[in-house]
Amino acid sequence: MSAPAREPWREPPIGLLAELTHRCPLACPYCSNPLELTRRERELPTASWERVLEEAAELGVLQLHLSGGEPTLRSDLEAIVARARALELYSNLITAGVGVSERRLEALAEAGLDHVQLSVQDVDAEGCDRIGGFEGSLARKLAFAKAVRRLGLPLTLNAVVHRHNLDRLERFVELALELGADRLEVAHVQYYGWALANRAALMPTRSQLDRSVAVVKAARERLGDRLLIDFVVPDYYATHPKPCASGWGRAVIVVAPDGRVLPCHAAHVIPGLVFPNVEEKPLRWIWQESPAFQRFRGFDWMQEPCRSCARREIDFGGCRCQAMQLLGDPEATDPACTLSPEHARIMALAEAEAAAPPPAFRYRRLEPVPA
Amino acid sequence: MSFAPEDRLVVARGVRLRFDPVRNCNVLLAPERVLFPCPTSVEILGRLAEPRAFRELVEGLAAEFDAPSEEIARDVEDLLADLLAQRIVRVERRPL
Ligand code: SF4
Ligand code: SF4
Repeated sequence: MSAPAREPWREPPIGLLAELTHRCPLACPYCSNPLELTRRERELPTASWERVLEEAAELGVLQLHLSGGEPTLRSDLEAIVARARALELYSNLITAGVGVSERRLEALAEAGLDHVQLSVQDVDAEGCDRIGGFEGSLARKLAFAKAVRRLGLPLTLNAVVHRHNLDRLERFVELALELGADRLEVAHVQYYGWALANRAALMPTRSQLDRSVAVVKAARERLGDRLLIDFVVPDYYATHPKPCASGWGRAVIVVAPDGRVLPCHAAHVIPGLVFPNVEEKPLRWIWQESPAFQRFRGFDWMQEPCRSCARREIDFGGCRCQAMQLLGDPEATDPACTLSPEHARIMALAEAEAAAPPPAFRYRRLEPVPA
Repeated sequence: MSFAPEDRLVVARGVRLRFDPVRNCNVLLAPERVLFPCPTSVEILGRLAEPRAFRELVEGLAAEFDAPSEEIARDVEDLLADLLAQRIVRVERRPL
């Protein structure tokens, strides 16, 4: 089908997720990067990233998320942060924190970095190594976190939780307090890319999920404003789906390491979409007019039950990538929604996986291993 | 939530207030959050760039808006409690 021509989209984006590189010392089995990773030779040069930031600021972007892979593997990260600061963009470094010296961190702080988000795979050293596929990772992460606090930078601890580490959730909270973190993000795995390939190895049981909800609730009550806790529930067990990326092409722009621009980091799973590259097109045109961004804006593309549902302006029918990945139809109602006719089938599958013994991880590697 | 006169308040780490020419309004930038503050919040946050006692904040606002301190205190208390809960503002309680 061909999408009808539409008016350019006038609302400005809020955030830009800059995937500076797919290189990473870790190999988390739930990594949100695509199965087919971009090699270093194809990464955008510094000057292009700087230009992208200028175009983004002009378009109305307010926050810049420096991500990857591991963004600190880019030796030009200081220059990128400095440019963001000059443009008054709020910069957030999303890092695994294993290979970053205090000196480097200091240089980033001096360049104007606003916030650091550190991932901790597990509070248990052995578990942390096993999940991230990197030996000695926890000690390095803790040293990194202390350096962040010594420099006076605000710190968020990011805990991606799943069947292997959920039983230690209380200790994640304690760790966040010990490290003097400002914020703890407890995020259940979202099943895209590598995580989908590892779903059976990661999917928690319903009772694990219920316990995590109770732990977060109790910690919030006990700690009040001492620690801000954000909590992302696994979408399979939810009643309604999440408004993915706050709706397709509504809040976020993702720029991949090679310069391709996507409405969400998983959007490459949707066939037939051409993602324009910042080396070829202005960001403004990409955001306002490109067919890939226009594709799922508005409500005309929707099927039932979304089309006539009162919640369509709240969740936009859920995630297009999930509908594609699980049902092979990017226009279908996200099967995470209990109103989807496919919900029960998908749920039963996930629950069966969670009940069975976990298979071995398929680690995220640059060289994709054949399935 | 109520504040003691000598409670020292300050904008939390990692929070930035700026004007956004594209949206033509003030924006509050914080970790993973963008807020669009009301004019009163902007006024308060501007005064809390450096730590300041609650009493001092209230007196400053009372002078600026030519209103009784008690009235101002009541008005800003709720707003401050909200900013505190959202970790936009931090309070440093003074040891006695
Ligand atoms: S999820 Fe793990 S492997 Fe993927 S980029 Fe982050 S640290 Fe690296
Ligand atoms: S039917 Fe569609 S719009 Fe309604 S709640 Fe489910 S996903 Fe959202």
